[in-house]
Amino acid sequence: MSDDPQGLPEATSHRLEELEHGLFTSDLSVNEFLLIKEVGFHPLGFVMGSSIYHTGIQTRKWGQSQELTKLTEAMYNARELAMTRMEEEAAELGADGVVGVRLDVNYYEWGKDAAEFIAVGTAVKAESGVSHRNKLGKPFTSDLSGQDFWTLMQTGYIPQGLVMGTCVYHIAHRGLGQTLGSAGQNIELPNFTQALYEARELAMTRMQDEADRLGASGIVGVRLEEKSHQWGSHTIEFLSLGTAVVKTSNDVTLPTPTTIISLDN
Amino acid sequence: MTETAPDLPEAANRRFASQAFTSGLTVPDFAACLQMGLEPVGYVQGFCVMQWGWYGLNSPYRRGISPYSGGQGGYMESWQCPHGFVSNEHRSWGQNYEQSWIEDAWGQGFGTAYSRMLKEAAAVGAHGVVGVVDTADRLGDLGVLEFHLRGTAVKVTDAPAPAGGQPWTTYLAGQRLAKLIEAGYMPISVAAAVSSVRVWAYCMTEFLLEGTSSTWGMQPAGAEIIQVASAQMAARQIAREHVRAQMAGDSLHGAELVVSEHQLSEGDQEIQCLLRGNRVRRFKDFDPMPVPHPTVRLS
Repeated sequence: MSDDPQGLPEATSHRLEELEHGLFTSDLSVNEFLLIKEVGFHPLGFVMGSSIYHTGIQTRKWGQSQELTKLTEAMYNARELAMTRMEEEAAELGADGVVGVRLDVNYYEWGKDAAEFIAVGTAVKAESGVSHRNKLGKPFTSDLSGQDFWTLMQTGYIPQGLVMGTCVYHIAHRGLGQTLGSAGQNIELPNFTQALYEARELAMTRMQDEADRLGASGIVGVRLEEKSHQWGSHTIEFLSLGTAVVKTSNDVTLPTPTTIISLDN
Repeated sequence: MTETAPDLPEAANRRFASQAFTSGLTVPDFAACLQMGLEPVGYVQGFCVMQWGWYGLNSPYRRGISPYSGGQGGYMESWQCPHGFVSNEHRSWGQNYEQSWIEDAWGQGFGTAYSRMLKEAAAVGAHGVVGVVDTADRLGDLGVLEFHLRGTAVKVTDAPAPAGGQPWTTYLAGQRLAKLIEAGYMPISVAAAVSSVRVWAYCMTEFLLEGTSSTWGMQPAGAEIIQVASAQMAARQIAREHVRAQMAGDSLHGAELVVSEHQLSEGDQEIQCLLRGNRVRRFKDFDPMPVPHPTVRLS
């Protein structure tokens, strides 16, 4: 997919044109909207990107734990495409960034081994006119809520991008001999420990490589998700997700929290 | 930090060599940490996969003490049927006993994953690990249990390297940690232990568990099932003793008790009790907090 917004569907251009005339749509709650306005940003519109991807299956060795690189690539590229398309929509609106990004995977009955990867979020732009785009000149993306976005801005950090890494891993079946050899004991199985450890580390390293490319100083809100999708219980996708942030000032302007006691109830 | 730890996977060392930090903290917890002078340096984790089964009375593979031979200092209690000989199927005796080998295996799995997490934390030069999360999940159909501990390693701004090289750990993060420190306590480590009590029902327990009215006219309806009740109490008691043994004079804060039951076969069950909390130590007197402002929500 090119960066050229002409590549977006026709309905999109029409919708985006309307948004450019000042109307905005957003899935922000009222509180989130107020907080985003408070730190000097204005919502431009609800943006999304999607990609329907054939993920297929890869031959696995019954007794071996290994990464399934083809599936890893497929899962990664599909999400990347959805994200890029969402970024293009945001760029078309002249946004500085996208907040509240959600990444979902949907399976449909009509597509065997096909999955729809979808990214949605709310594009925002700084009211001061100062660009807050990331190092690559693209709108930043983040899965932060309005509240999180506000809090982060008070700590002198600013989001650069939603970063992710994935690793699809096949976990070996255990042979009869192996099972009997250790039957009746609750003991560590170092091969399995190592395999799963490696799989998660690979996912996290890939996520961190993305952050490095954005020149980020760190990643907040890292989540490790594990899903078997439709592959059976021995094949697991380890997905690592977080928001890369960069430090823009040393001032933490977050006021000391006030203690309160709620009289509701 | 760039020294590599030889026991960690290659990908872990590569990850730590990067300049950027990773943190599993939510933004509010991240902000609270910065305010306290704690700087996140990396998301750290440790794993241990253990072969797992409830080997006990019926298993030819059981390990540890035989329930028939009496406990070796562990909890054991038995019940005799009051009916005399009825039939071969009649459960004429019942027993509760502590399965110390399961407790030990759990301790080994948790402890190994914990020390691996500490090793990652030490590799990034951390003073402590906040927001620890622990899980023990079954993997597919493998009959194995995976212990997974993770948390966010933090450095205290402008402080010398941690004494003894051992970072402190806590389940707390963000404002909850800030409140703990304000109250004059510092985190030492997470503390967790499991107790496992096997219940082998005798006739009275079996009848009461089935909910059938007693054929034997001995128990009124709604009677206490004494054997199960004492197993439940013993499991909680043992878990508390195990954790107390880890305290070495410190206090336990924010304890959480999780009880689960596994039915292994008819009249044969395991009661497992997991107790976890934060081991904390007083380091200064309590600073009275500012008086809270009463608030009313207008919604």
